[in-house]
Amino acid sequence: MSKAALLSLQQALRKSFQTLECNQKVWKSVLSECSPLMDSLANLAEQWKALSNIQIANTPLKDFPDLEEKLRFKLLLATDTVLGKLNEKMSALQSVRDAISNQVYAVIQLYEQNADSLDLLSVTERSATAPSIADMLEWLQDAERYYRQQFLKKKTLLQTVRADNLSLLESTPEKWKSLESPSADNHITDTLCKVSFFMESQ
Amino acid sequence: MTLKLLSVVPSDRGSQRCRLGPGLMSALGLSLGSPLLVSVPGGSCLCTAWPRPDLAEGFLQMDLKCSSPTLISHPPTHLNLDPDQLTPTPCPKLKGVKITVVVQSVEFKKNTPMRLVHELVKDMLKGVYVQKKHVINLEDIDTEIRYVVVESISPDSSSAGLINSKTGVEITGIQTVRHYRNQLQDQHTVVLGGLEEVSASLREMLQLPLLYPGTLSSLGVSCPRGVLLVGPPGVGKTLLVRRVVGDVGASLVVVKGPEVVGSRPGESEEMLRGVFERARTAAEEGPCVLFLDELDSLCPRRTGSSAPENRLVAQLLTLMDGMNQSDRFLIVGATNRPDSLDPALRRPGRFDREVIIGAPTLQQRRAILSVLCERMPVCPSVDMAELAQRTIGYVGADLSALCREAAMHSIRENSKGSGEQAVGVKHFHEALKSVRPSCLRGSLGRTDLSLVSWEQIGGLDEIKLKLKQSIEWPMMYPEAFVRLGLCRPRGVLLYGPPGCAKTTLVRAAATSSHCAFLSVSGADLYSPFVGHSEKALAQLFRQARACSPCILFLDEIDSLIGSRSNSQTPNSVQTRLLSVLLNEMDGVGLKTVEGRGTEKILEGADHNHTQEQLDFQEVCNKDVMVVAATNRPDCLDSALLRPGRLDHIIYVPPPDKQARLAILKLCTESMPVEPDVCLEELASKSDLYSGADLENLCKEAALLALQEENMEASAIKHTYFLRSLNKMSPSLTAQQIQKYHTSPR
Repeated sequence: MSKAALLSLQQALRKSFQTLECNQKVWKSVLSECSPLMDSLANLAEQWKALSNIQIANTPLKDFPDLEEKLRFKLLLATDTVLGKLNEKMSALQSVRDAISNQVYAVIQLYEQNADSLDLLSVTERSATAPSIADMLEWLQDAERYYRQQFLKKKTLLQTVRADNLSLLESTPEKWKSLESPSADNHITDTLCKVSFFMESQ
Repeated sequence: MTLKLLSVVPSDRGSQRCRLGPGLMSALGLSLGSPLLVSVPGGSCLCTAWPRPDLAEGFLQMDLKCSSPTLISHPPTHLNLDPDQLTPTPCPKLKGVKITVVVQSVEFKKNTPMRLVHELVKDMLKGVYVQKKHVINLEDIDTEIRYVVVESISPDSSSAGLINSKTGVEITGIQTVRHYRNQLQDQHTVVLGGLEEVSASLREMLQLPLLYPGTLSSLGVSCPRGVLLVGPPGVGKTLLVRRVVGDVGASLVVVKGPEVVGSRPGESEEMLRGVFERARTAAEEGPCVLFLDELDSLCPRRTGSSAPENRLVAQLLTLMDGMNQSDRFLIVGATNRPDSLDPALRRPGRFDREVIIGAPTLQQRRAILSVLCERMPVCPSVDMAELAQRTIGYVGADLSALCREAAMHSIRENSKGSGEQAVGVKHFHEALKSVRPSCLRGSLGRTDLSLVSWEQIGGLDEIKLKLKQSIEWPMMYPEAFVRLGLCRPRGVLLYGPPGCAKTTLVRAAATSSHCAFLSVSGADLYSPFVGHSEKALAQLFRQARACSPCILFLDEIDSLIGSRSNSQTPNSVQTRLLSVLLNEMDGVGLKTVEGRGTEKILEGADHNHTQEQLDFQEVCNKDVMVVAATNRPDCLDSALLRPGRLDHIIYVPPPDKQARLAILKLCTESMPVEPDVCLEELASKSDLYSGADLENLCKEAALLALQEENMEASAIKHTYFLRSLNKMSPSLTAQQIQKYHTSPR
């Protein structure tokens, strides 16, 4: 009985790691699509700053009626467009996060259902080709937590951006870049390498 | 088997995992990720069990994601845990939780819509095991949301549960981290003894505007905003403020004088403005107190020149004026040198109220001692009332030093032999010797007098009785004094020929009554600066009053303080000192800064007897008794000798025959004398000998014996006494004594 439970758990783990692998790729590609948007946001912030620094009445452009208001409106529109596009990307990221989360919760639930039949010795048993079940569950949880936190941080950042707060708008692209942690991302890649033998040993 | 608590590995931060050995996990019946409650001293922590990667036993590493509030500020370290302290906890899925969110900055709290906070918090809490009243630490996510306090959970059948995506999250409030930490600190403040009246008035000022804002505005009055605490160092001004603030639940912004002073011009003012701004933002969340400790260093009296302090003082004044009614914070200043403050600070509208905390009275000392000893294993034989009587002039800080010293003595004794850990009377008495009152520290007249008992003075029984009447009785039988409408004498003058034990009598009086004893001589008082001596004398009286009941002994008062009638220079130092003394002894009143508790009025006694006696003592023994000694009473000013100043004028006569016999007996007590020595004969032959002469006589006789019998003398013969008596002549003359018989008054 324990054998059957073990086998089904291993199967589920394999499937989760596969999901993790392909979602990691999706996550990366979405993020790379975000970076030009961030650049244009930085550009817009610079324009906002330039506009607020200048007194249009003192320039040759003063003959144009309502120039400043019009420019502001245009910038606002542009900022809104960029932020809207970023939000679309965020929903893509959210779907990645949800996919990973659901898969991980499912595996853990499967383990919890069979926890009585699986003693600690068997879940902590390692071999040369396969890590122990405890380790793999831990890695999955870590990966899930990483994506969840990344998503939360990015969401908090984007939600607090407002066009009327110039300094906040200016600092957003930098903050966005600082959120990325290559080490944690590499950690997930490492994990996938560690389980590669296990995944192939069907 | 014990578990060693190690710090958490970085990769586990925020995972709520608790790493332990697989053996222990299976012994506790835990599977991977089962919730587990770990109790540590000061709180508990809910986490999920995971085997260590190296599968080693005997270690525990836990992530404090969900823990008691106290563990957030003081995370447990270097602990050895017992496996009993780990309890598997069933965690059902929760239907709903009520939480308070703690955020980093006020800006985030103001600018972020509630809907967004709710959304973020819900995402953050997904998959977290929570325990009622615990705090979820979200610092690892590194956003503005720092903590989540779990107020209640539903269903509340169990104390812990798991939050999943279906759990309803309800936010009851948002606080900032600063405010939250302030609240946490309040939970473990010390109790304060003997400052009830002051703390009640302070609390009223804090609470009134908060509880009844409508009443105050309908009366059209503005609530007070400044309190100045004045008192000698160590009475507990700072502690009082912290305590009251903790009680009311207000947040505290502390400014220590030197902290705000910067090196560049304008920097100090800027820091001061920053502090006020901080108080203002804190006041938006709840009551707030801005505490300016050591105000005298921050705000000294402005001088004429443009000193940099002047600008700081001006900034503080404008800031205090610039507070508008909506700024609901209270400014509390504390100082022990109110006279050096800028007078502009001390007007209503700035520091509206001044609260004077004096050195604690007898009752207050008793209250302080009982608070201090509450957590110490004190022998039941230790009488706090008696200890309070012995600790005259001690302030709160001294008393806590005393208790600490007593405890140290008990530890030292216990380390020698094994015994139960209890602090007894003897430990306190031992500690009393090393801890001296700080009121008297640095005082002019502090003397370490050798103990003299009444029995060590031969004869003079009548004088002893008079002295006891005026010094000891008021302390021991205050109720009898009150019953007969008597009041304590203000002063006693001892006069008589030199060498007749005037000083020794005073010493004995000070020994038998356990009051503070100050003694001054001319050397202490005279100084080359004009006005310095008078100031020193006034200061001496002030200190003596602070630790009353107190005996102030002025030896050789005739040389210290002259007389106005027969002195050549009418404006000499002596005359000025005399006027200070007259004023201090029977002046119009005391300075206001010397307040000591509120005036108590004796009413019908409904307490037990000892309590009553303490009350009497507190009311009656508030004065300084001046004891003066002179051998030239005719040189004293007549104003000093009237009743109300030196009430009792006692003549210490040269010893008569009986007294001389008693003195000789005392002097020869430690000497081996031959049985043929007849002290009666010596006494009758030594007319006009003073006590000092008689002591000298015995010494001479003993030296003579050594001289004659070549160092092998074992006893002093009668002849030696007679021979030395023949050699000596009395130091007093009949004419001299006759002079004393005309009363000086």
